[in-house]
Amino acid sequence: MTTWGTPDPRDIGTLEPDAEPTLEHGVVKSKNAIILRRFLRNRTAVLGLCMFGFLCVFAAFGGLLSPWDSRTIDPLAVSQGPSAEHWFGTSQSGRDLYMQMVDGVRTSIVIGLIVGLGSALLAAVYGCTMAYFGGRVEKYMLLFLETLIMVPTILIVAIATSGGGGLKENVPGWILLTAVLLLFGWMGAARLIRSLGLSLMTREFIKAAQFMGIHPFKIVWRHLVPNIGSLLVLEVTKGISLAVLAEISFSFVGIGVKDPDISLGVLIAQASSQVSSFPWMFWFPLAAMFFLTGALAMMNDGLRDAFDPHSTSVGKAKP
Amino acid sequence: MLKYLGRRAATYVVMIFLTTSATYFLAVSTMKPALLEQERIPRPTPEQVERSFKGLGLDPTASPWERYVDWLSGVLFRWDWGRSPNSAFVNEQFGDRVWVSTRLFLAAIILTLVIGVVLGVVSAARQYKISDRLITGYSYFVYILPAPIGYFLIQLGAIQINAMAGERIFFVTGIATPGVEPGWEAFWDMAAHYAVPTFAITVMGWQAYQIAQRQYLLDNVNADFVRTARAKGLTRNQAISRHALRVSFIPVAQSIAFTIPAIFTGGFFAEAIFAWPGIGLWGIQAISMADVNGTVATVAYASLIFAIGAILADFATTLVDPRVRVS
Repeated sequence: MTTWGTPDPRDIGTLEPDAEPTLEHGVVKSKNAIILRRFLRNRTAVLGLCMFGFLCVFAAFGGLLSPWDSRTIDPLAVSQGPSAEHWFGTSQSGRDLYMQMVDGVRTSIVIGLIVGLGSALLAAVYGCTMAYFGGRVEKYMLLFLETLIMVPTILIVAIATSGGGGLKENVPGWILLTAVLLLFGWMGAARLIRSLGLSLMTREFIKAAQFMGIHPFKIVWRHLVPNIGSLLVLEVTKGISLAVLAEISFSFVGIGVKDPDISLGVLIAQASSQVSSFPWMFWFPLAAMFFLTGALAMMNDGLRDAFDPHSTSVGKAKP
Repeated sequence: MLKYLGRRAATYVVMIFLTTSATYFLAVSTMKPALLEQERIPRPTPEQVERSFKGLGLDPTASPWERYVDWLSGVLFRWDWGRSPNSAFVNEQFGDRVWVSTRLFLAAIILTLVIGVVLGVVSAARQYKISDRLITGYSYFVYILPAPIGYFLIQLGAIQINAMAGERIFFVTGIATPGVEPGWEAFWDMAAHYAVPTFAITVMGWQAYQIAQRQYLLDNVNADFVRTARAKGLTRNQAISRHALRVSFIPVAQSIAFTIPAIFTGGFFAEAIFAWPGIGLWGIQAISMADVNGTVATVAYASLIFAIGAILADFATTLVDPRVRVS
């Protein structure tokens, strides 16, 4: 279930702000090399990465394999099951399901990437600013943040994408959905980053920078943000999967992405009324959805273990 | 403790005011019910539309600020949440539906919380045994399954069971069978209708609590004070229940408030999927009708549910965490 803004306990306390370069057999290995090795050692995570990469390639170039496109109607094959001509069958209007899925997966991944990257960036700036200034600024920023958590995102999505106003006519639905998810998707991460930033604020290098009279925003950008890098990477992958899940959920109940835009949620929703008569229309997009969200969850898990210096889930480093 | 809770409650009132006002301005500036009126047959003239909206207090020519002041004074002084474009009273529409949704949401929130925490404790106490793997694996599976699709699959399953049994065991849509006698019969009918949506929200909702509780408890099981308790002769289960449990519940209790919006969204989805005549379904319809007052009332209701959940979280925290009680 999509849980926006839920603090994830697995992220707290397991991330060391900055690990020292490790000495292994006299060779100094950089932190990034160690993290990469730990990630690659985790089979599940690598499998997740491969699956995600495969889906990206499918979304980008899958259209070249089939002679159809997602809008052409084949009047000779309406509501047909999978066949040699239409690999995943056709929809009730005679459109090729394979090509619709290429488009749908692409929309879902693009929404996920924009929201994941954007909300992590927003959260980093906001959370670090809160941690840096403290006091009254922090109090009011926290109040604003909690107020945003309180707003029911589903209603804002509905207002943006279906209100009788002028927004809908000028901007495609999926862009509106992306904007709302971005605006209301960063708060949980920002709270987490604040708590990590608060502990960083007591460190000597921040104090030194402050005494040197460096501009606060520069300190935040140069010293705080890089030190929470690992947490940010996790928030990006988590944000991507939450955004993909949210897109599918909202489109499924008829708000969010709408026909003629195609996304995985739209495809699943269109098929849901006749699951028993046209099962392929429902189960193919659903399988693609599990493939995508599963891949992201596996990647996220592997990255978390790779960043966590105390994790033993992938075994000990070989000498 | 009461002082602390009172201060928190005051903060939530301010927050409800902020969200409601912000939504009012968003709704007033994006929603144009006059455009929808143009689709009626016979098509009313712009003057007619303007006159009828003026009578409802939805004057499209007034500036958003004027309308806001008007609306706010109505809410504050007369508890009048305004009227819809189809001239229905929001108060009345809300009154019919508010208990339907509140009962569903509160039952789901409490069940989700209790089951999630209990399963979290069970799975942490039996780490890496088969029951832990099943419970935690299920939680990860739910994590990658969007809530409405989960509800839809549950609905399909219930229909399947009905078909196999040859009679109607589960009601998968609506809230009551028409024409049932009031009294016990109506009560059982209502319970039968509540069963599937409540079950669906609960089984799709507890994963966050389960994973959180398991993780925090495992962090504490290896702490020194629990090892001391073991060394003094307590069994593992005694040490967990007497010493580790309370400490590990504090962060979970604090996070309750931030999972309420998720459960609330889940409730909206459930109302949409199970055709449940509650606030969620009505709110979505109000939005598609460009009904400003109805939309804002729904947001205020959602914020209130959040505030109730947050106060519940604060209360639970003060109950288990002596540090909050003292300071």
